[in-house]
Amino acid sequence: MKTVSSLLDEHWHDRYRKISRLNIRSSIYDVTNRCNLRCKGCFFFSSGEHQVAREETDIHQWEAFIDKEMDRGVNLAILIGGEPTLCLDRVEAFYKRLPTFCATNGLIKVPRDRFPDLMVGISLWGSREEETLLRGKDAFAISSKHYEGDPHTYYLYTLTPRQLGRIEPIIKKIRDVGVKVHLQLLSNDEGVDGFSWTPDELSAIRDEMDAMLDAYPDTVISSKYYHEVITTGKMMDRSFGWMECPSVTLPMDTRNPRPRRLTNFIRWASDLSTMHRCCTSETRDCRTCKDGAAHMSWVMVNKRAHMNTTQDFQNWIEVYEMFAKLYQFIPW
Amino acid sequence: MQAGHTIDAIILRVAGIMIDELKLEDITPETFDPDMDLVDEVGIDSMDLATVALVLRDEYAVRIDEDDYPKLTTIRLISTYLQNKLVEAA
Repeated sequence: MKTVSSLLDEHWHDRYRKISRLNIRSSIYDVTNRCNLRCKGCFFFSSGEHQVAREETDIHQWEAFIDKEMDRGVNLAILIGGEPTLCLDRVEAFYKRLPTFCATNGLIKVPRDRFPDLMVGISLWGSREEETLLRGKDAFAISSKHYEGDPHTYYLYTLTPRQLGRIEPIIKKIRDVGVKVHLQLLSNDEGVDGFSWTPDELSAIRDEMDAMLDAYPDTVISSKYYHEVITTGKMMDRSFGWMECPSVTLPMDTRNPRPRRLTNFIRWASDLSTMHRCCTSETRDCRTCKDGAAHMSWVMVNKRAHMNTTQDFQNWIEVYEMFAKLYQFIPW
Repeated sequence: MQAGHTIDAIILRVAGIMIDELKLEDITPETFDPDMDLVDEVGIDSMDLATVALVLRDEYAVRIDEDDYPKLTTIRLISTYLQNKLVEAA
Protein backbone atom coordinates (compact mmCIF):
# COMPACT_ATOMS: atom_id res chain seq x y z
CA MET A 1 0.00 0.00 0.00
CA LYS A 2 1.29 3.43 -0.89
CA THR A 3 1.40 5.52 2.26
CA VAL A 4 1.87 9.25 2.64
CA SER A 5 5.35 8.87 4.11
CA SER A 6 6.41 6.48 1.36
CA LEU A 7 5.58 9.17 -1.20
CA LEU A 8 6.65 12.38 0.52
CA ASP A 9 9.80 13.67 2.11
CA GLU A 10 9.53 15.53 5.41
CA HIS A 11 9.07 18.94 3.77
CA TRP A 12 6.12 17.78 1.68
CA HIS A 13 4.73 15.70 4.52
CA ASP A 14 4.67 18.85 6.67
CA ARG A 15 2.80 20.68 3.94
CA TYR A 16 0.37 17.78 3.70
CA ARG A 17 -0.26 17.79 7.46
CA LYS A 18 -1.21 21.47 7.32
CA ILE A 19 -4.11 20.75 4.99
CA SER A 20 -5.01 17.13 5.59
CA ARG A 21 -7.46 17.78 8.41
CA LEU A 22 -9.07 20.98 7.21
CA ASN A 23 -12.20 19.13 6.16
CA ILE A 24 -13.58 22.10 4.25
CA ARG A 25 -17.33 21.89 3.64
CA SER A 26 -18.47 24.68 1.40
CA SER A 27 -21.78 25.70 -0.01
CA ILE A 28 -22.66 28.56 -2.34
CA TYR A 29 -25.27 31.23 -1.75
CA ASP A 30 -26.86 33.64 -4.20
CA VAL A 31 -27.04 36.66 -1.93
CA THR A 32 -29.16 38.71 -4.32
CA ASN A 33 -30.59 38.57 -7.82
CA ARG A 34 -29.46 42.09 -8.58
CA CYS A 35 -26.17 43.40 -9.92
CA ASN A 36 -24.70 46.80 -10.69
CA LEU A 37 -23.09 45.45 -13.85
CA ARG A 38 -24.32 43.23 -16.65
CA CYS A 39 -21.35 41.23 -17.88
CA LYS A 40 -21.67 39.28 -21.09
CA GLY A 41 -20.01 36.18 -19.76
CA CYS A 42 -21.98 36.04 -16.52
CA PHE A 43 -23.84 32.73 -16.25
CA PHE A 44 -26.15 34.05 -13.56
CA PHE A 45 -27.96 36.35 -15.96
CA SER A 46 -27.37 34.53 -19.23
CA SER A 47 -29.07 31.38 -17.94
CA GLY A 48 -31.91 33.23 -16.24
CA GLU A 49 -30.92 32.22 -12.72
CA HIS A 50 -31.72 35.71 -11.50
CA GLN A 51 -35.38 34.99 -12.21
CA VAL A 52 -35.89 31.55 -10.70
CA ALA A 53 -36.46 32.65 -7.12
CA ARG A 54 -37.93 35.63 -5.28
CA GLU A 55 -35.26 37.22 -3.17
CA GLU A 56 -35.67 36.86 0.61
CA THR A 57 -35.41 40.32 2.14
CA ASP A 58 -35.97 39.62 5.84
CA ILE A 59 -32.54 39.54 7.49
CA HIS A 60 -33.87 37.39 10.33
CA GLN A 61 -34.79 34.72 7.79
CA TRP A 62 -31.24 34.84 6.48
CA GLU A 63 -29.80 34.51 9.96
CA ALA A 64 -31.98 31.51 10.80
CA PHE A 65 -31.12 29.94 7.46
CA ILE A 66 -27.38 30.34 8.02
CA ASP A 67 -27.67 28.75 11.46
CA LYS A 68 -29.34 25.76 9.84
CA GLU A 69 -26.60 25.59 7.23
CA MET A 70 -24.00 25.42 9.98
CA ASP A 71 -25.99 22.67 11.67
CA ARG A 72 -25.59 20.56 8.55
CA GLY A 73 -21.83 21.03 8.66
CA VAL A 74 -21.12 23.93 6.31
CA ASN A 75 -17.89 25.62 7.38
CA LEU A 76 -17.26 27.84 4.35
CA ALA A 77 -19.88 30.15 2.84
CA ILE A 78 -19.16 31.25 -0.70
CA LEU A 79 -21.27 34.29 -1.51
CA ILE A 80 -22.09 35.09 -5.09
CA GLY A 81 -25.03 36.73 -6.80
CA GLY A 82 -25.87 39.02 -8.34
CA GLU A 83 -23.59 41.40 -6.54
CA PRO A 84 -23.38 40.51 -2.84
CA THR A 85 -22.14 43.93 -1.75
CA LEU A 86 -25.52 45.38 -2.67
CA CYS A 87 -26.78 43.57 0.47
CA LEU A 88 -24.09 43.99 3.09
CA ASP A 89 -26.47 43.06 5.91
CA ARG A 90 -26.78 39.58 4.39
CA VAL A 91 -23.03 39.34 3.88
CA GLU A 92 -22.59 40.31 7.52
CA ALA A 93 -25.02 37.63 8.67
CA PHE A 94 -22.73 35.03 7.12
CA TYR A 95 -19.49 36.73 8.15
CA LYS A 96 -20.45 36.87 11.82
CA ARG A 97 -21.17 33.16 11.90
CA LEU A 98 -18.65 31.28 9.79
CA PRO A 99 -15.68 31.63 7.40
CA THR A 100 -17.03 33.56 4.46
CA PHE A 101 -15.84 34.42 0.98
CA CYS A 102 -17.48 37.21 -0.99
CA ALA A 103 -17.26 37.31 -4.77
CA THR A 104 -17.70 40.85 -6.03
CA ASN A 105 -17.03 43.08 -9.01
CA GLY A 106 -15.33 45.49 -6.62
CA LEU A 107 -17.38 48.55 -7.53
CA ILE A 108 -18.65 48.82 -3.95
CA LYS A 109 -15.97 48.67 -1.31
CA VAL A 110 -16.52 46.23 1.51
CA PRO A 111 -16.03 48.42 4.60
CA ARG A 112 -13.10 46.97 6.49
CA ASP A 113 -14.20 48.42 9.81
CA ARG A 114 -17.26 46.19 9.54
CA PHE A 115 -15.61 43.23 7.78
CA PRO A 116 -11.96 43.32 8.88
CA ASP A 117 -10.87 39.99 7.45
CA LEU A 118 -13.64 38.99 5.05
CA MET A 119 -12.00 37.27 2.07
CA VAL A 120 -12.96 39.21 -1.04
CA GLY A 121 -12.53 37.87 -4.56
CA ILE A 122 -12.85 40.53 -7.24
CA SER A 123 -13.81 39.47 -10.72
CA LEU A 124 -11.59 40.75 -13.51
CA TRP A 125 -12.02 40.16 -17.21
CA GLY A 126 -8.79 41.47 -18.64
CA SER A 127 -7.55 44.72 -20.03
CA ARG A 128 -9.45 47.98 -20.02
CA GLU A 129 -10.72 47.21 -23.53
CA GLU A 130 -11.98 43.76 -22.58
CA GLU A 131 -13.52 44.96 -19.35
CA THR A 132 -15.34 47.60 -21.30
CA LEU A 133 -16.43 45.19 -24.03
CA LEU A 134 -17.63 42.41 -21.72
CA ARG A 135 -18.77 44.41 -18.68
CA GLY A 136 -19.60 47.85 -19.95
CA LYS A 137 -16.94 49.55 -17.89
CA ASP A 138 -13.37 49.24 -16.65
CA ALA A 139 -14.21 47.86 -13.23
CA PHE A 140 -10.52 47.31 -12.39
CA ALA A 141 -9.89 51.04 -12.38
CA ILE A 142 -12.38 51.33 -9.52
CA SER A 143 -11.77 48.10 -7.63
CA SER A 144 -8.00 48.53 -7.57
CA LYS A 145 -8.44 51.83 -5.74
CA HIS A 146 -10.86 50.29 -3.26
CA TYR A 147 -8.66 47.32 -2.38
CA GLU A 148 -5.08 48.48 -2.89
CA GLY A 149 -2.77 46.58 -0.53
CA ASP A 150 -5.63 44.64 1.06
CA PRO A 151 -4.29 41.33 2.43
CA HIS A 152 -7.72 39.70 2.38
CA THR A 153 -8.43 40.35 -1.27
CA TYR A 154 -7.51 38.75 -4.54
CA TYR A 155 -8.50 39.19 -8.16
CA LEU A 156 -10.27 36.34 -9.83
CA TYR A 157 -8.99 36.93 -13.32
CA THR A 158 -11.06 35.24 -16.02
CA LEU A 159 -8.92 34.54 -19.06
CA THR A 160 -10.36 34.61 -22.55
CA PRO A 161 -8.79 33.54 -25.84
CA ARG A 162 -8.35 37.18 -26.78
CA GLN A 163 -5.88 37.62 -23.96
CA LEU A 164 -3.34 35.15 -25.27
CA GLY A 165 0.05 36.80 -25.02
CA ARG A 166 -1.42 39.72 -23.11
CA ILE A 167 -1.76 38.45 -19.57
CA GLU A 168 1.48 39.77 -18.11
CA PRO A 169 0.62 43.49 -18.09
CA ILE A 170 -2.54 42.68 -16.13
CA ILE A 171 -0.60 40.58 -13.62
CA LYS A 172 1.86 43.44 -13.21
CA LYS A 173 -0.97 45.90 -12.58
CA ILE A 174 -2.37 43.61 -9.90
CA ARG A 175 1.05 43.14 -8.36
CA ASP A 176 1.53 46.88 -8.31
CA VAL A 177 -1.66 47.44 -6.33
CA GLY A 178 -0.43 44.88 -3.80
CA VAL A 179 -3.02 42.13 -4.01
CA LYS A 180 -2.99 38.53 -5.22
CA VAL A 181 -4.53 37.04 -8.33
CA HIS A 182 -5.98 33.68 -9.21
CA LEU A 183 -6.48 32.64 -12.84
CA GLN A 184 -9.49 30.92 -14.32
CA LEU A 185 -10.88 30.39 -17.80
CA LEU A 186 -14.02 31.81 -19.38
CA SER A 187 -16.79 29.37 -20.17
CA ASN A 188 -18.39 31.22 -23.05
CA ASP A 189 -22.01 30.67 -22.02
CA GLU A 190 -23.38 33.41 -24.20
CA GLY A 191 -21.34 32.51 -27.27
CA VAL A 192 -19.72 35.92 -27.53
CA ASP A 193 -17.76 36.02 -30.79
CA GLY A 194 -14.09 35.24 -30.35
CA PHE A 195 -14.39 34.01 -26.78
CA SER A 196 -14.73 30.24 -27.25
CA TRP A 197 -11.60 28.17 -26.71
CA THR A 198 -9.90 26.05 -29.35
CA PRO A 199 -7.54 23.22 -28.31
CA ASP A 200 -4.53 25.17 -29.53
CA GLU A 201 -5.59 28.23 -27.58
CA LEU A 202 -6.05 26.18 -24.43
CA SER A 203 -2.57 24.75 -24.85
CA ALA A 204 -1.10 28.20 -25.37
CA ILE A 205 -2.92 29.74 -22.42
CA ARG A 206 -1.70 26.91 -20.20
CA ASP A 207 1.89 27.75 -21.12
CA GLU A 208 1.23 31.40 -20.39
CA MET A 209 -0.40 30.65 -17.04
CA ASP A 210 2.61 28.54 -16.09
CA ALA A 211 4.96 31.34 -17.13
CA MET A 212 3.05 33.85 -14.99
CA LEU A 213 3.23 31.57 -11.98
CA ASP A 214 6.98 31.22 -12.47
CA ALA A 215 7.53 34.94 -12.97
CA TYR A 216 5.18 36.25 -10.24
CA PRO A 217 5.05 33.56 -7.54
CA ASP A 218 4.24 36.10 -4.82
CA THR A 219 1.29 37.47 -6.76
CA VAL A 220 -0.20 34.54 -8.66
CA ILE A 221 -2.00 32.00 -6.44
CA SER A 222 -2.15 28.93 -8.60
CA SER A 223 -0.50 25.64 -9.48
CA LYS A 224 0.71 24.15 -12.72
CA TYR A 225 -1.29 21.00 -12.18
CA TYR A 226 -4.44 23.10 -11.87
CA HIS A 227 -3.49 24.78 -15.15
CA GLU A 228 -3.12 21.36 -16.74
CA VAL A 229 -6.45 20.07 -15.44
CA ILE A 230 -8.48 23.14 -16.33
CA THR A 231 -7.04 23.56 -19.82
CA THR A 232 -7.16 19.90 -20.81
CA GLY A 233 -10.29 18.89 -18.86
CA LYS A 234 -8.35 15.76 -17.92
CA MET A 235 -7.22 14.38 -14.59
CA MET A 236 -5.49 11.01 -14.31
CA ASP A 237 -6.82 10.03 -17.77
CA ARG A 238 -10.38 10.90 -16.72
CA SER A 239 -12.41 13.61 -18.47
CA PHE A 240 -14.30 16.33 -16.66
CA GLY A 241 -18.05 16.26 -17.18
CA TRP A 242 -21.39 15.60 -15.51
CA MET A 243 -20.39 12.14 -14.28
CA GLU A 244 -17.22 13.50 -12.67
CA CYS A 245 -18.16 16.95 -11.38
CA PRO A 246 -17.86 17.21 -7.57
CA SER A 247 -19.89 20.44 -7.30
CA VAL A 248 -23.43 19.17 -7.85
CA THR A 249 -26.11 20.14 -5.33
CA LEU A 250 -26.53 17.10 -3.08
CA PRO A 251 -30.34 16.72 -3.11
CA MET A 252 -30.29 17.06 -6.92
CA ASP A 253 -27.48 14.59 -7.43
CA THR A 254 -29.16 11.64 -9.13
CA ARG A 255 -26.02 10.27 -10.72
CA ASN A 256 -25.43 6.56 -10.61
CA PRO A 257 -22.73 5.69 -9.90
CA ARG A 258 -22.24 8.78 -7.81
CA PRO A 259 -18.71 10.15 -8.19
CA ARG A 260 -16.59 11.48 -5.38
CA ARG A 261 -18.10 14.84 -4.56
CA LEU A 262 -18.11 17.74 -2.14
CA THR A 263 -19.71 16.67 1.12
CA ASN A 264 -23.19 18.14 1.58
CA PHE A 265 -22.59 20.82 -1.08
CA ILE A 266 -25.64 22.87 -2.06
CA ARG A 267 -25.97 26.00 -4.13
CA TRP A 268 -28.87 28.02 -2.80
CA ALA A 269 -30.88 30.66 -4.60
CA SER A 270 -31.67 33.91 -2.81
CA ASP A 271 -35.13 32.79 -1.66
CA LEU A 272 -33.28 30.36 0.64
CA SER A 273 -35.33 27.41 -0.51
CA THR A 274 -34.66 26.99 -4.25
CA MET A 275 -31.55 25.05 -5.17
CA HIS A 276 -29.47 25.34 -8.29
CA ARG A 277 -28.13 22.19 -9.88
CA CYS A 278 -24.47 23.02 -9.43
CA CYS A 279 -21.97 25.75 -8.71
CA THR A 280 -22.49 27.32 -12.10
CA SER A 281 -25.07 27.55 -14.86
CA GLU A 282 -27.52 24.69 -15.29
CA THR A 283 -27.61 25.41 -19.00
CA ARG A 284 -23.88 24.94 -19.42
CA ASP A 285 -22.49 21.91 -21.23
CA CYS A 286 -20.53 20.12 -18.50
CA ARG A 287 -18.07 18.77 -21.08
CA THR A 288 -16.83 22.26 -21.87
CA CYS A 289 -17.34 23.79 -18.41
CA LYS A 290 -14.22 25.61 -17.29
CA ASP A 291 -15.39 26.51 -13.81
CA GLY A 292 -12.25 26.93 -11.74
CA ALA A 293 -13.65 25.94 -8.35
CA ALA A 294 -15.25 22.82 -9.81
CA HIS A 295 -11.96 21.73 -11.35
CA MET A 296 -10.04 22.45 -8.16
CA SER A 297 -12.58 20.50 -6.16
CA TRP A 298 -12.41 17.68 -8.69
CA VAL A 299 -8.75 17.26 -7.85
CA MET A 300 -9.26 17.75 -4.12
CA VAL A 301 -11.92 15.08 -3.64
CA ASN A 302 -9.77 12.56 -5.49
CA LYS A 303 -6.85 12.48 -3.09
CA ARG A 304 -6.11 8.79 -3.07
CA ALA A 305 -6.23 8.67 -6.85
CA HIS A 306 -3.17 10.90 -6.65
CA MET A 307 -1.31 8.62 -4.26
CA ASN A 308 0.37 6.69 -7.05
CA THR A 309 3.57 8.64 -7.45
CA THR A 310 5.36 11.36 -5.53
CA GLN A 311 4.72 13.85 -8.32
CA ASP A 312 1.00 13.07 -8.49
CA PHE A 313 0.63 13.50 -4.75
CA GLN A 314 2.62 16.73 -4.68
CA ASN A 315 0.36 18.01 -7.46
CA TRP A 316 -2.66 17.19 -5.30
CA ILE A 317 -1.13 18.99 -2.31
CA GLU A 318 -0.44 22.11 -4.38
CA VAL A 319 -4.02 22.27 -5.61
CA TYR A 320 -5.40 21.78 -2.11
CA GLU A 321 -3.06 24.47 -0.77
CA MET A 322 -4.20 26.82 -3.51
CA PHE A 323 -7.84 26.33 -2.55
CA ALA A 324 -7.03 26.67 1.17
CA LYS A 325 -5.21 29.95 0.51
CA LEU A 326 -7.97 31.36 -1.67
CA TYR A 327 -10.46 30.76 1.12
CA GLN A 328 -8.12 31.77 3.95
CA PHE A 329 -7.76 28.40 5.63
CA ILE A 330 -3.97 28.77 5.43
CA PRO A 331 -1.92 31.95 4.95
CA TRP A 332 -0.74 33.12 1.53
CA MET B 1 -20.56 -9.72 23.95
CA GLN B 2 -20.59 -11.97 20.87
CA ALA B 3 -17.39 -13.80 19.90
CA GLY B 4 -17.04 -11.73 16.74
CA HIS B 5 -17.14 -8.57 18.78
CA THR B 6 -13.80 -8.88 20.55
CA ILE B 7 -11.57 -5.95 19.83
CA ASP B 8 -9.17 -8.05 17.75
CA ALA B 9 -11.99 -9.42 15.64
CA ILE B 10 -13.43 -5.97 15.07
CA ILE B 11 -10.02 -4.61 14.12
CA LEU B 12 -9.57 -7.31 11.50
CA ARG B 13 -13.05 -6.72 10.12
CA VAL B 14 -12.67 -2.94 9.98
CA ALA B 15 -9.33 -3.35 8.23
CA GLY B 16 -10.91 -5.73 5.74
CA ILE B 17 -13.79 -3.38 5.02
CA MET B 18 -11.39 -0.49 4.58
CA ILE B 19 -9.23 -2.45 2.16
CA ASP B 20 -12.26 -3.57 0.13
CA GLU B 21 -14.17 -0.30 0.08
CA LEU B 22 -11.18 1.94 -0.58
CA LYS B 23 -9.52 -0.57 -2.91
CA LEU B 24 -6.25 -0.45 -1.01
CA GLU B 25 -3.58 -2.57 -2.66
CA ASP B 26 -0.76 -4.73 -1.36
CA ILE B 27 -2.14 -5.02 2.15
CA THR B 28 -4.25 -7.53 4.09
CA PRO B 29 -6.31 -7.16 7.27
CA GLU B 30 -3.57 -9.02 9.09
CA THR B 31 -0.79 -6.72 7.88
CA PHE B 32 -2.74 -3.48 8.29
CA ASP B 33 -1.23 -1.71 11.32
CA PRO B 34 -4.28 -0.82 13.44
CA ASP B 35 -2.43 2.15 14.91
CA MET B 36 -1.42 3.68 11.58
CA ASP B 37 -2.86 7.19 11.24
CA LEU B 38 -5.54 6.98 8.56
CA VAL B 39 -5.28 10.60 7.48
CA ASP B 40 -1.59 11.29 7.91
CA GLU B 41 -0.40 7.96 6.52
CA VAL B 42 -3.14 6.15 4.58
CA GLY B 43 -4.47 9.39 3.11
CA ILE B 44 -8.15 8.78 3.67
CA ASP B 45 -10.57 11.69 3.86
CA SER B 46 -13.99 12.20 5.40
CA MET B 47 -15.71 10.86 2.29
CA ASP B 48 -13.71 7.64 2.57
CA LEU B 49 -14.64 7.38 6.21
CA ALA B 50 -18.29 7.96 5.38
CA THR B 51 -18.12 5.11 2.87
CA VAL B 52 -16.61 2.78 5.44
CA ALA B 53 -19.07 3.97 8.10
CA LEU B 54 -22.01 2.94 5.90
CA VAL B 55 -20.71 -0.60 5.60
CA LEU B 56 -19.98 -0.76 9.32
CA ARG B 57 -23.51 0.44 10.07
CA ASP B 58 -24.95 -2.38 7.99
CA GLU B 59 -22.68 -4.95 9.56
CA TYR B 60 -22.77 -3.93 13.22
CA ALA B 61 -25.98 -1.88 13.35
CA VAL B 62 -23.93 0.96 14.80
CA ARG B 63 -24.15 4.46 13.44
CA ILE B 64 -20.94 6.49 13.48
CA ASP B 65 -21.83 10.10 14.12
CA GLU B 66 -20.20 12.42 11.56
CA ASP B 67 -19.11 14.71 14.37
CA ASP B 68 -16.99 11.82 15.68
CA TYR B 69 -15.04 11.38 12.43
CA PRO B 70 -12.16 13.69 13.41
CA LYS B 71 -11.25 11.58 16.43
CA LEU B 72 -11.46 8.24 14.59
CA THR B 73 -7.95 8.46 13.23
CA THR B 74 -6.87 4.81 13.38
CA ILE B 75 -8.46 1.43 12.83
CA ARG B 76 -8.02 0.69 16.53
CA LEU B 77 -9.90 3.87 17.50
CA ILE B 78 -12.71 3.03 15.09
CA SER B 79 -12.88 -0.49 16.46
CA THR B 80 -12.93 0.66 20.06
CA TYR B 81 -15.66 3.16 19.19
CA LEU B 82 -17.70 0.35 17.63
CA GLN B 83 -17.13 -1.97 20.54
CA ASN B 84 -18.25 0.68 23.03
CA LYS B 85 -21.41 1.28 21.04
CA LEU B 86 -22.09 -2.44 20.93
CA VAL B 87 -21.69 -2.69 24.69
CA GLU B 88 -24.03 0.28 25.18
CA ALA B 89 -26.61 -1.37 22.96
CA ALA B 90 -26.34 -4.80 24.65
